[in-house]
Amino acid sequence: MIENLLSVRNIETYYGPIMALRGVSLDVPKGQIVTVLGANGAGKTTILKTVSGVMDPQKGSVTFEDNQIQGSDPDWVARQGIAHVPEGREVFPLLTVRENLSMGAFARTERGGIGADLEMVFDYFPILQERADQQAGYLSGGQQQMLAIARALMARPRLMLLDEPSLGLSPILVKEIFDIIRRLNKEQGVTMLLVEQNANMALQIAGYGYVLELGRIVMDDACHRLLESEDIKEFYLGVKKDAVRGRKRWRRKKTWR
Amino acid sequence: MDGSTGSIETDGVVFDGCDTLPKLFRKRYVEEADKIAMREKHLGIWRSITWREYGETAKDIGLGLMSMGLQRGETVSILSETNKEWMFADLGAIGAGATSSGIYTTDSAKQLEYVVRDSETGFLFVENEEQLDKYLQVRDNVPSLRKVIIMDLEGLRDFTDPIAMTWDELIETGRRYGAEHPAAWDDRIDGSSQDDTAILVYTSGTTGPPKGAMISNKNVIFQMGTARTMLEFHEGDNQLAFLPLCHIAERGFSMFLSMAYKTVVNFAESPETFAENVREVSPHVFFAVPRVWEKFYSGFTIQIRDATAIGKTMYSWAIEIGKRIAEHKIRGTEPSAKDRMLYRLADLLVLRNVKTMIGLGKTRWAATGAAPISPDLIRWYMALGINMLEVYGQTENTGVATANTLIDFKVGTIGKAMSDTEVKISERGEILIKGDHVFKGYFNNPEKTAETVIDGWLHTGDVGSVDSEGYFKITDRIKDIIITAGGKNITPSEMENQLKFSPYIADAVIIGDKRKFLSCLVMIDEDNVVKFAQDSDVPFSNYASLCRSSKVQELISTEISKVNKDFARVEQIKAFRLIEQVLTPEDEELTPTMKLKRNLVGQKYKELIDSMYQAA
Repeated sequence: MIENLLSVRNIETYYGPIMALRGVSLDVPKGQIVTVLGANGAGKTTILKTVSGVMDPQKGSVTFEDNQIQGSDPDWVARQGIAHVPEGREVFPLLTVRENLSMGAFARTERGGIGADLEMVFDYFPILQERADQQAGYLSGGQQQMLAIARALMARPRLMLLDEPSLGLSPILVKEIFDIIRRLNKEQGVTMLLVEQNANMALQIAGYGYVLELGRIVMDDACHRLLESEDIKEFYLGVKKDAVRGRKRWRRKKTWR
Repeated sequence: MDGSTGSIETDGVVFDGCDTLPKLFRKRYVEEADKIAMREKHLGIWRSITWREYGETAKDIGLGLMSMGLQRGETVSILSETNKEWMFADLGAIGAGATSSGIYTTDSAKQLEYVVRDSETGFLFVENEEQLDKYLQVRDNVPSLRKVIIMDLEGLRDFTDPIAMTWDELIETGRRYGAEHPAAWDDRIDGSSQDDTAILVYTSGTTGPPKGAMISNKNVIFQMGTARTMLEFHEGDNQLAFLPLCHIAERGFSMFLSMAYKTVVNFAESPETFAENVREVSPHVFFAVPRVWEKFYSGFTIQIRDATAIGKTMYSWAIEIGKRIAEHKIRGTEPSAKDRMLYRLADLLVLRNVKTMIGLGKTRWAATGAAPISPDLIRWYMALGINMLEVYGQTENTGVATANTLIDFKVGTIGKAMSDTEVKISERGEILIKGDHVFKGYFNNPEKTAETVIDGWLHTGDVGSVDSEGYFKITDRIKDIIITAGGKNITPSEMENQLKFSPYIADAVIIGDKRKFLSCLVMIDEDNVVKFAQDSDVPFSNYASLCRSSKVQELISTEISKVNKDFARVEQIKAFRLIEQVLTPEDEELTPTMKLKRNLVGQKYKELIDSMYQAA
């Protein structure tokens, strides 16, 4: 049996009166990459925020390594080994790259390991080493994304929550970032919960995927099977069969099967 | 047993001085020109359409078709959702002497091909790009088609094809033709006769390919007249059109009866906004299929569970009083003065709000038909104070043959025969219907016609009975009767209706023909079961895992046990399975009115069904 590092059960999360998550359950097995796909406003980010403690669910449970963590403070959750890489990178713009990375290791106590991890991070992201002493605000978007991931790595997380790492990046950079994510998973054994709008890339690197619509999961399966699903192809991958008129603008109804 | 009632008039059928549908239509758009005929929501605002606009647009459509050589008696087909253009195109075609045939938008390209070929359609209206694409896929197989008219051009600005023309072009052509031939339209209308086939209605066909039922002007006019004796319409009443107009029920209610009784038809925007539209329109008179009445009820029942303790107590108090009063009404007895007073209070404090919440605040009467309904559901609506009338009929008799009325009604029956309608039970228990609403026959299918109408009696295929007061009751479809391996005859629909009364069961099919025991396949009500799962912390990700979860299985099992209690030992449902896929009307297992098709379900889920009998 596969061991689940993270189990989310029936969570309901609200923004004021608005119910953003209407009962979501999902599992992230240890050592795997699991992806959540969905359109704008589906509730993807809310799932990550609920896991990392930034938001509290009104209902349901979040279990991380056998401990229920729903409703805990985000800093405590982070100390348990969950690193949240937020959407839009959110690096500290006025601090240098090196300082940003130190912030990632803020909660750690063993000094020795930090230095080694910095080496490891620079190994994955050589460009960060080149720019180690520049202010993070002057980095390009792709570099900031790398820094955000690197900063999270510095916390030595067992689970990394990645919120749309491809946002606003050029296709080449997207590929580069995803390659690194894949390597980090393989080589460092970091389990990942990846939220993405770039369904194609996400399904390439993840093992299992969930599709979220309006706060509810409508479909889930192994990624190689999701890639074959007619609904995923049409609504998430933009694959269109040649229509009689050469192009087809209307969409068939979603069935999620 | 012979329960024939009513009498047949022999001196022709006339309504409001008109003997055909086009003549009555003309009378309406001339005499009622400035009154509102229909409303449609456009960009969020309800827009009124007068009889003048209705008439003139239909006329331009009809003339446009005539200018392209439409002959009297030719078929025009309409492939569109229910909207005002549907009605314009329909009456334009019928006015021009053609036969109008509706095609379900849920039909596939192949089904479209079949219907267009079978009906020998010359002109086809398509709603939009999506429907147009269906035609384009099969265009080579339907050479009889001369012109395709596109109603909504969105996304098709650059599309050109010699066979296609736009709605506006058709109207423009019609106007020009009308200017050149000022008498052409009226000549066609004057030349219409009672025997013309006004509409062709393809029956959903649970067995074999669909057949086109030919409904004549006489059928329609007769049906308009008989409706007066059973239903009470006031001029200007609001009603809501939302079912497919291809279906005889919606066509009859929203087109024929609204024309006859000058009511206002309001078009619902889409299935998604249906509930909201009901509240906005607040119809005075309301026809819907049982599925809709079930949905209102289950939606409300679930909502009340989340109400405050006071709210719940108030509701159960009020509905109990409502039920008591309803029982008196049903039995025809007088409630006590105290009960009457309590009811007034209950209505003021609770029941009125419940009705308003659903959108039935102004409803004088509601009607249900086209499928069987649970008597308990009718009682609930009656307890709210809504007169819920069950009617019965078929496409082949233009909609209604028997009906409960505001004066004569008996819950659990389909009412008495309508005026000038003979209804009787044949020796083998089949319900037979005779009257001027019995159709002309199936288009190009004399064999099937001969099997269906014998000596003027329409053989309905329904088994039923009649009581001493003349109220008819349907047991089931003849072909649906189950004979178990033990030789016991079982009529499944009564049990199925009881199952559907559960808020968690959307539809169910009982199985057991030539089997050792009864079992059933259940389609869950997704919204309500999801809510149940959330409330009781049942983890699930998708529909299938929801169906498979043990708590949901238990829930349905409990619901089935409740129904089992009401039935004899041989009629117990001993096993069940859930259909683990969300079904939509596009799926062949469902009719356009969201009923499960017994035969198809039996074939498609054969393995699942067999598994129930292997396990036992």
